[in-house]
Amino acid sequence: MKKLAALSLILSMMCGLAACGSSGGGSSEGGSDAKDEGGSDGKVSINVIAAQYGQNTKTWWEDFVKDFTAEHSDIDLTVEVESWNDIYTVVNTRISNNDAPDILNIDVFANYQADDLLLPAEDFVSKETYDKMYPAFLEQSDVDGTIWAIPDLASARALYYNADILKDAQVEVPTTWDELTEACKAIKAHDSKIYPWGIDMTTDEGQAAFAYYTWNNGGGFVDDEGNWTLNSDKNVEAIEYAVQMVKDGYTNSDPANDTRYDLQDMFGAGQVAMMIGPNSIPTYIADGGYSVNYGVAPIPTNGGVDSVSAGVMDRFMCFDNEYSDAELEAIKTFFDFFYEDERYSEWVLMEGFLPATISGGEILAKQDESMASWVDIVGSCNFYPTAKTEWDDVKQGVINVEQQALLGGNVKELLDELQNEIAE
Amino acid sequence: MKNKTFRKAEPYIWILPSIILMAVFILIPIIFVFRMSLSEVSKAGIIRGFSGFANFTKVMNSSAFKLVLRNTIVWTVAVVVLSTVLGFILALILNNEFRGRKIARAVMVFPWATTLVIQASAWKFIIDTDYGTLNTLLLRLGLIDQGINWTPTAEAYFTWEIACGIFVTIPFVTFCVLSGLQSIDTTYYEAATVDGANYWQQLFQITMPLVRSSLTVSTVLNIIYVFNSFPIIWTITKGDPANHTDTLVTYLYKLAFYNGKQGQAAAVSVIGFTILLICASVYMVYTLRKGDE
Repeated sequence: MKKLAALSLILSMMCGLAACGSSGGGSSEGGSDAKDEGGSDGKVSINVIAAQYGQNTKTWWEDFVKDFTAEHSDIDLTVEVESWNDIYTVVNTRISNNDAPDILNIDVFANYQADDLLLPAEDFVSKETYDKMYPAFLEQSDVDGTIWAIPDLASARALYYNADILKDAQVEVPTTWDELTEACKAIKAHDSKIYPWGIDMTTDEGQAAFAYYTWNNGGGFVDDEGNWTLNSDKNVEAIEYAVQMVKDGYTNSDPANDTRYDLQDMFGAGQVAMMIGPNSIPTYIADGGYSVNYGVAPIPTNGGVDSVSAGVMDRFMCFDNEYSDAELEAIKTFFDFFYEDERYSEWVLMEGFLPATISGGEILAKQDESMASWVDIVGSCNFYPTAKTEWDDVKQGVINVEQQALLGGNVKELLDELQNEIAE
Repeated sequence: MKNKTFRKAEPYIWILPSIILMAVFILIPIIFVFRMSLSEVSKAGIIRGFSGFANFTKVMNSSAFKLVLRNTIVWTVAVVVLSTVLGFILALILNNEFRGRKIARAVMVFPWATTLVIQASAWKFIIDTDYGTLNTLLLRLGLIDQGINWTPTAEAYFTWEIACGIFVTIPFVTFCVLSGLQSIDTTYYEAATVDGANYWQQLFQITMPLVRSSLTVSTVLNIIYVFNSFPIIWTITKGDPANHTDTLVTYLYKLAFYNGKQGQAAAVSVIGFTILLICASVYMVYTLRKGDE
């Protein structure tokens, strides 16, 4: 009997592992269940899951809910703010339990669309609000001619350089890969303790490195028809170049583990001379108490290609929870309220992002000159092909290729393998 | 009569709440995982139908899985064995009378009482090449001129993670063994001393057999905890580079929430569950039988 009891105890303890594979718990703050149309008090309820962009996001949404409820007392709005670490777990758990949120603010949408869980954008956003969006941004959420999500904000990437280090090492800001290599050589010779070039090939954001090098070598994730071209010669050349930079000792010592935030800290502290980073770096550097003399320039390119900035865009989408007309109206009201020009500008500025609406861009460009050039950049940059359902696999796949290449793997063979896997 | 029936049922009534809790929070999720591992699951997490063992074959055919399985075995064996040996030695030391014994015992609790994520972050901060405190200390002491890269390879990272795992596991072993040591009657040692037994004879003939049950408990629990441990590896390397520091748990997390392959993640989970079930059952049955003898 004792043995039996001991074994059953062991069994129950091991279940921690088995349970781990299922739905991880999500922290919900009273998110309402499915749809409870016209609850006892006759209110229409909407629940939103929103991504936490930084320290200010939660407070911003709390104020938003207060303002919204004050103006629309007939709508019961609940907003759950989830960190980027948890949001996918929370959303997937809710979906598996038939409890999808009404509105979701996240980066990707294709998987939900592929499962027929979403409503077309034009069904849940008023025409007036829909027309505010940059068309190029809306196109990023196009599947088979229908737009399934609307952009909430964007960020763009550029080259950041430490002007003092470049001056001391007597090098100009590089515009091509050859110039970049030469600049790295000169900086290394000038001070061997400084990392001339910052590279992030981590699980966090290694796909961005893939984008920076391949796009600026005339390659990329997909061709003009949207077919995957992961193993193109241009891509192989680009990744080999990036990995060679690491092997030559021109970069941070551990690109597979140094995240962008580690690099930003090292850049702020004057330990990294140049890195590709988002438009929010100035805010990050100021918040971190760093005082580095830096400049911003286009990302260096190869083979006469025009410099391409990498854009990152997040979205709002609406799950098809079989809404009544009143509920759909409430959702439209929510978006009209969110995208009101002044409120929307506050949203974008809150964590130092870029606007996704034309009017928002105009307002911010007027307010801040440095913002104006970023608004231009974001209007013309390339985006990840997140509208394709294979994106998750491609994203993890290219990160794996980079890390395998760092460990000595053959880039061509690795990319061929990935391309075949994705094509299957 | 009524009283008799109640007395018979009483124990079951008392354990009923825990049985209900276990069923709701343990049994049902397990059934879900098993079902998911045998199903085709969409990336958004919706079950599309029965797929047999397709998830298992896909997982087992992937090159990463073999590496991850090997890592998991190395990780579990290294952490459990080394922390058990070191924890046992430490318990023997702490069982002696010496000045400051209470303080030493209190200090021992710290690594155990601190959250694993905090522990792992602290270790990461110590060994970092660029801003790590270990390099800073050595530089300040003038022992080195330039920061040393403590983690030049994936294997080096994994070794640090194992070291961190051992560090946080030792206190648990120490306290389990210590409680066993304190229950040993000192007259055994007195008798052995009179009979002329030396320290090692006493250790192997008296101490070891009498603390065996405590060691069994700590070892079995540690095998389970360490095998399932997620925070240390996730905080320090996230399994990078290219799965070289992944264990089954971090690997299945990535499969489920980074790659959207929840069916395959469930399959990995079931495989891990089976391995643990076999190991723990064999160990338990073996040691309990030996105890009965």
